[in-house]
Amino acid sequence: MSKSINLTLKVWRQKNSKTKGQFETYAANGIDTDCSFLEMLDVVNERLTVEGKDPIAFDHDCREGICGMCGAVVNGQAHGPQRKTTLCQLHMRQFSDGDTIVIEPYRSRALPVLKDLAVDRSAFDRIIQSGGYVSVKTGQAPDAHAILVGKEYADLAMDAAQCIGCAACVASCPNASAMLFVSAKISHLALLPQGNPERETRVQEMVAQMDKEGFGNCSNEYECEAACPKGISVSNIARMNREFLSASRKK
Amino acid sequence: MAGYLSSSIGRKQIVAVTGLFLTLFLIMHLSGNFLIYKGPDAYNAYAEFLEHLGTIKILARVGLIVFFLTHITFTALLVIDNRKARGAQGYAVSNSVGKRSLATRLMPYTGTLVLAYLLFHLCDYTLADHESVRSLVNGQNLGLYGLVYNSFKNPLRVAFYVLGMIGIGLHLVHAVQSIVQTFGFNHPRYTPLVKKISFVVGVGVAVGFASIPFYMHFCTMSACSLGGY
Ligand code: HEM
Ligand code: FES
Repeated sequence: MSKSINLTLKVWRQKNSKTKGQFETYAANGIDTDCSFLEMLDVVNERLTVEGKDPIAFDHDCREGICGMCGAVVNGQAHGPQRKTTLCQLHMRQFSDGDTIVIEPYRSRALPVLKDLAVDRSAFDRIIQSGGYVSVKTGQAPDAHAILVGKEYADLAMDAAQCIGCAACVASCPNASAMLFVSAKISHLALLPQGNPERETRVQEMVAQMDKEGFGNCSNEYECEAACPKGISVSNIARMNREFLSASRKK
Repeated sequence: MAGYLSSSIGRKQIVAVTGLFLTLFLIMHLSGNFLIYKGPDAYNAYAEFLEHLGTIKILARVGLIVFFLTHITFTALLVIDNRKARGAQGYAVSNSVGKRSLATRLMPYTGTLVLAYLLFHLCDYTLADHESVRSLVNGQNLGLYGLVYNSFKNPLRVAFYVLGMIGIGLHLVHAVQSIVQTFGFNHPRYTPLVKKISFVVGVGVAVGFASIPFYMHFCTMSACSLGGY
């Protein structure tokens, strides 16, 4: 049964990447608990627009937890209080009447705030461009069963491939490290025969790009795994460490 | 190699490998120190043995210093990087999602505590004169044993040693399992076991070392020496 709750929002407002931001307080009254978190922000934004105020900017796309576009830090946790849930799939029934909710953008030197809650995640794109792909040979598409893949490798690769690149790992890491993301991408390719030939150059180039972007270093705190909406395991970081060591030994 | 040493993962692995050797040293040091429970003869003979290892002793000392300095230098590089990575504006509210233990959180602080402890500790025993008046017990010169015995009669020193051991214990509780992850081993069945071993090593080393100042503080010469003094 849906009910209606009254909330107080403390939202980070920032005009653009050049200006300094600050928190603004908004009353969000009469919020249907069947709303998703983003729908709640839509309601607040409609009211702000009617009042002639600038609506709160936030990123979103699919709103069904698969694209990785949404995300903010809600009461100190990336994607809010519910585990393995993206912000768009978080529902207002997780909150109680009278709650104050603090909403901040992801904080990382490598992911600068563009406006309000929206951050620039193109650092992730540049890391993928540096090696997170399989070089394609031209010619006809090969038969799907031309290369056999062992079930356990396929499973591990698919687990890693669940990463939607939302950057909650960076947001929740005490060091703002991107290693869960990078290791998921490295793992899902390294575990498959198609990705195998380039695995050594891939790990070296992706790690170099990650470092260049200004992300922090992993100190094995495992906050990322706990905050990840897809439950990506830190065993991927171990795999990346191993890949990196063996690639560095040969070079 | 230069690329490896300046990379995030390379640096972390340097910290891990030097940490591993320091941990092994600690375990050896602790086993040796337990000879204190056998009395002055056994302990002094052991110190004598170490003293006369010659080249091995020099190599071990140089190795320890190099490992220690490398460990600290690379850790400092990583920590400085990590502090900057959050950016100028931090979080107003930050709520751990749950997996960070106290030991993990305190790593840079317990590390610094161990360093302070170590500097004091080296001046206290290693660099001190082992045959001075500080070694006299009931008019007898008991060498290094006597020095340790007398110095732990001071409750402040006992307290400082115990504090240092709490630091090293916490440091190891996180460190040992961290070494394994950093070198790329993580397994659903064995990683929980590795974490338990890490806990046991940390607590074991801390309790083992800390038992000595307590024992030396509370024992009297006739009760604690088995060597006929
Ligand atoms: C209550 C605990 C401890 C006691 C009673 C103790 C005792 C001693 C003694 C008596 C020596 C001098 C040996 C000699 O000169 O022949 C020594 C050396 C040393 N200790 Fe400890 N120790 C303790 C804990 C630690 C810890 C936790 C560390 C590491 C952080 C440590 C690191 C060292 C080092 C590096 C040396 C110098 C070794 C050398 O130069 O060959 N000790 N210790
Ligand atoms: S909007 Fe696509 S995952 Fe949330």
